[in-house]
Amino acid sequence: MSQRVYITGLGMISALGNTVSEGFLSLSQSKTGIGKINHLTTRYKEEFLAGEINLSNKDLADLVKDSNPEYNRNTYLAMIAAKEAVIHSGIDTKDGLRTGLISSTTVAGMGITELYYKELFEKTDHLSVIDTHDCGYSTERIADYIGNVDYVTTISTACSSAANAIMLGCRMIKHGQLDRVVVGGVDALSKFTFNGFNTLMILDREWCKPFDENRKGLNLGEGAAFLVIEGEEALNKRQGKPLTEIIGYANANDAYHQTASSPEGYGATLAIQQALAMSGLNPSQVDYINMHGTGTPNNDLSEGMATVAVFGNQIPKFSSTKAYTGHTLAAAASIEAVISVLSLQHQTIFPNLNFTTPIASLNLTPIHELLKTPINIVLSNSFGFGGNCSSLLFKKV
Amino acid sequence: MTKAYINGISCISAQNTIDDSWYFDTITPANGDYFSAIEPSYKDHIAPNLIRRMGRAIKMGVTTANLAIIDADAQKVDAIITGTGLGCFEDSERFLLAMLDNNEQFLTPTSFIQSTHNTVGSQIALIMKCHDYNFTYVHRGFSFESCVLDALMLFEEGKETILVGGIEEHTPNFVTLNRRALKLQIQDTTMPIHQSTSNGVQLSEGSTFFLLSKHKSDKSIAAIDGIKTLYKPKTSEDIFEKLIVFLKLYNLTLSDIDVTLMGFCGNQHFDKYLNELLPKLTTNTAIASFKNLCGEFYTASAFAMWVATKLIQKQQLPQSIVIAGSEPKHIKHVLVINQYGGVNYSFMLVSQC
Repeated sequence: MSQRVYITGLGMISALGNTVSEGFLSLSQSKTGIGKINHLTTRYKEEFLAGEINLSNKDLADLVKDSNPEYNRNTYLAMIAAKEAVIHSGIDTKDGLRTGLISSTTVAGMGITELYYKELFEKTDHLSVIDTHDCGYSTERIADYIGNVDYVTTISTACSSAANAIMLGCRMIKHGQLDRVVVGGVDALSKFTFNGFNTLMILDREWCKPFDENRKGLNLGEGAAFLVIEGEEALNKRQGKPLTEIIGYANANDAYHQTASSPEGYGATLAIQQALAMSGLNPSQVDYINMHGTGTPNNDLSEGMATVAVFGNQIPKFSSTKAYTGHTLAAAASIEAVISVLSLQHQTIFPNLNFTTPIASLNLTPIHELLKTPINIVLSNSFGFGGNCSSLLFKKV
Repeated sequence: MTKAYINGISCISAQNTIDDSWYFDTITPANGDYFSAIEPSYKDHIAPNLIRRMGRAIKMGVTTANLAIIDADAQKVDAIITGTGLGCFEDSERFLLAMLDNNEQFLTPTSFIQSTHNTVGSQIALIMKCHDYNFTYVHRGFSFESCVLDALMLFEEGKETILVGGIEEHTPNFVTLNRRALKLQIQDTTMPIHQSTSNGVQLSEGSTFFLLSKHKSDKSIAAIDGIKTLYKPKTSEDIFEKLIVFLKLYNLTLSDIDVTLMGFCGNQHFDKYLNELLPKLTTNTAIASFKNLCGEFYTASAFAMWVATKLIQKQQLPQSIVIAGSEPKHIKHVLVINQYGGVNYSFMLVSQC
């Protein structure tokens, strides 16, 4: 159970760009990917902004060279990011070591189901949609795309999904079930999720303003991010190079409400405290927190309360990067894990955009200008519907 | 890896498994090409104000979770792990149709809120006020298997009492679409399911929960020794080799297995590898099927584990599920070999404790 686990490969496609390096460039320029909606078909196209990837489904099919395209956006995004991570890590899945794939999604194939659902009862043209609707479909496509995968599974715990995929990957390595795992999450924009969040009245019509007193809600985004994580034994065997160590993780439940977070952030507090306890660190050793920070009145207050509960009057530097990517739901935690690794590699905090006024009851000010600063430990939070709260701790190598 | 003791079980399926006294006596046939779950009166199990809003998957899940806890006489749980291939399909479909019918207007959030796959797990946590580990696996024929593997790892990490369950629901539209895609077929019940020459399955649904404990007690009915999943094995020989290796982990060989429960689904193509395995298994063990009773769905393996647990508890192999081999004198080790769609294969070993 003592084996260390390292991140050795990164892959990301989001509104910030189609690769990790494109994403890094946008982040370093404090440039948001959120803007006008071009590709998603919705009557609200002109009314809302979103963190949309500027590629059509056909463009994406071409990128993954799909010979029999069914234009399932979710699946293509996942394939692109997972492949980038595998190539970046330099692992060879045919070398006899056990490779796992743990993906996560909430929307799954809904983005294509919603286009054809009614005609499925009349025509037979798109009946294959019922094979691509479920969450496992995209995972199996990624598994076949990477090749030689020994274990596959998929997690869906709403907006904390990818954090749980990363956590499970670490645990499977520590338990000796796998030598390395490709972990991450994906969610493409769909009319279904868009309308769902709209009925909950938590979408901001302007650019979202995480941790601002006048925040009105979130901007939805889409994307996929995958990380290759390896046990130190497998890494040493191939003499690979670690990017970051994962030193703590925890999963707790708020058990307060199906969609809202408890006002005091009880579940979030538990997740952060348990991740810290696992790492053996004191709260004061955390240099930077990449917050969940969606920009909804409820989340940011609740997360802020949890931060105060854990860190008292020594609040680490923090920011939310949701104003760059939009809230990418199941992919959010893996996108933010990639951003956390970039922060550690470049010793840089990417600023919280659109911030002007601290939340009055908390008086917490995020980093809102690009900051070069020594960073050794990053905490990343992800919370979701159903009270799911997960925290991850990354350490510079 | 540590064993997991099964201290409580509860199952809603196409058979009357929700009635504690049912033991394969009255078999309910399929309704043509699909089975519906035999559901209890939920008002005995869930507060009336909650029942109204819950979809069937949630009602089935919350009820069986609660009954498994009662069966085990457990006071609290340290983790809630659910598996579901399709999640709350009824709520997803309701929101989807409302959105399409009304051109994205006049929508209410309830069915969207309940459409997320982790709704059952989080409702259980909400009702129990459980702030601990909460996970939902959504991978096709590995959804329930992933839960069991996770629980076994959590016991090694120090958890003591874990609730695991597999939940699936279907809707009339979902049955219709599967039928239109030629995935369903009425089975000839005069022949055993493994000899079926059909190209379809009988779709079904249900919810099965297990209250697992790290410690053996007078409540322990059986123990889960281990689990293994195989994604797209290349041949049946490949599956057989991995099965031998799997059993060896527990110092067992095929001759130690008293009953093997095999996931024949009736689709001759999906059942091909299991049929090829059959002659290699029959010399030592009684072979039984279970999908002729529970139908096919992503978490049918949870029903299989319920059957395995019951066989060990009752020490009697019902003739309605036997497809080959002779009745064992004693039922000590039950092996489940499942397949879903000829893609997801799994082994689960349940033993007397």
